[in-house]
Amino acid sequence: MNILAIESSCDETSAAVIKEINGVLNVASNIVSSQIDIHKVYGGVVPEVAARHHVKNIIPVIMEAMEIGKISQEEIDLIAVTSGPGLITSLIVGVETAKSLGVAWQKPVLQINHMYAHLAANFLNNQINFPALALVVSGGHTELILIEDYNKFKKIGQTVDDAAGEAFDKVAKLLGLGYPGGPVISARAEISRKSKVESRKFDLPRPMIGSGDFNFSFSGLKTAVLYKLKEIDIKNDQDINDMCASFEQAVVDVLVKKTIKAAKNFSAKTVFMAGGVAANKKLRYELEQAVKNIGLDFFVPEFKYCTDNAGMIGIAAYYLAKEKMPDMDNWKNIKADPNWELE
Amino acid sequence: MNKIITNSEKETYQFAKDFSAKLKGGETLCLIGDLGAGKTAFTKGLASGLGVEKIITSPTFVLMKNYLANFGHIDKLAHIDAYRLSNGKDLEVIGASDYINDKNCVTVIEWADRVYPVKLLDKYIKLNCHLEKFIENLTSEELEIFNRVRDIWPKDCLEINFKSLEGDEREIEIKK
Repeated sequence: MNILAIESSCDETSAAVIKEINGVLNVASNIVSSQIDIHKVYGGVVPEVAARHHVKNIIPVIMEAMEIGKISQEEIDLIAVTSGPGLITSLIVGVETAKSLGVAWQKPVLQINHMYAHLAANFLNNQINFPALALVVSGGHTELILIEDYNKFKKIGQTVDDAAGEAFDKVAKLLGLGYPGGPVISARAEISRKSKVESRKFDLPRPMIGSGDFNFSFSGLKTAVLYKLKEIDIKNDQDINDMCASFEQAVVDVLVKKTIKAAKNFSAKTVFMAGGVAANKKLRYELEQAVKNIGLDFFVPEFKYCTDNAGMIGIAAYYLAKEKMPDMDNWKNIKADPNWELE
Repeated sequence: MNKIITNSEKETYQFAKDFSAKLKGGETLCLIGDLGAGKTAFTKGLASGLGVEKIITSPTFVLMKNYLANFGHIDKLAHIDAYRLSNGKDLEVIGASDYINDKNCVTVIEWADRVYPVKLLDKYIKLNCHLEKFIENLTSEELEIFNRVRDIWPKDCLEINFKSLEGDEREIEIKK
């Protein structure tokens, strides 16, 4: 099966070619055109600006993916596209492009949930023991998903307010560190941990860490940082770095504890991490240690499959299409759905 | 005008829940205030009062989240984060015009001042949300600004200001 996959849910325009040869899945190309530098100036993704860049980039990105992936239009069996969740103005560009190509080239089109694709990125090159439990963390989402088989999954917990990635962005804003917040906070936290001067430990809450369910809350953590900043004198870079370390540790503690609790509760054999925040080294390290301590397999996608990319959309599409290939007129059912939740 | 002080997130939630009983549908609640000032807690309380069953999560990433509500005529709640929007056109682009001024919907816009200039909102509310009177009273400069958001102007509009005081104290001011 040869799949052309398209992703445009936020600020990356991406296209990929996925080939299955003798049952082995291979990402032949995965082109990502990022707009991050454009949106940095605004402190976040600006919908109208993102849409304009997607429109400009999408065809060249698809053509490049097909060229590098060495595939012709005739050889494509399926077109897959992210139809949600995401920014409506961004999603629409990928969705309408995929539908147009599907009709023009006479190929079936399959809609893919962006969150499922994030966790499906772990299926590549890995022998998975099910059931698996996935922690999916990104700028817009923080969810725990139980995966019983490649295409059978359900959400068992989620944030009740802000996503983990959003908390990073908001705290970065409070500290005057710019956008996006994740990489800069992690980098500063790392400096604090490695500093020869003893770092200040700021006492921040671990919201909902003891709640009986598998939900998360990060809105209050941001407010706690705000209070600390009012209460104490942040004098220098070192203080800011220490605050970053304390904050990052609070987020990591909650995510790790809840994930392990869920893994035990559902007798998972494998734990996955996925989504943009999975690129956070501290979280990766601590979760991996905790999962290995209870003797389970731990997988996290390669960095290039953690952030938004069409490769993961193609991988997800492969497992869904293997179960059931969409009809030729499925494109009629596809609509950008910014609030598409995994049930 | 109505100003109150709440002493905790819980109180803000409860205040909004009680406040929601006064809503009839068609209202746009323009929330204005800094990070951590209580906008999210307020919206959660409001949603609970309006019979929304789903968990209200931050609309920051997707810009607008829509929920089913169940309170009198009100069957929808639209929750918008305007922080990254720069003008009225952006509100239309994300599909908000399907919800704003719909009489079966209550629309909550966080960071509403990013789209509707506070000066205009204040003037409109002072004139009892009387659109014709409001337009007559605009200066030519204001009229130019207004024309940019005319199509998505919140007709039945409340402005709600949030201020962080000491510790968990919040001042909430409702202008109607």
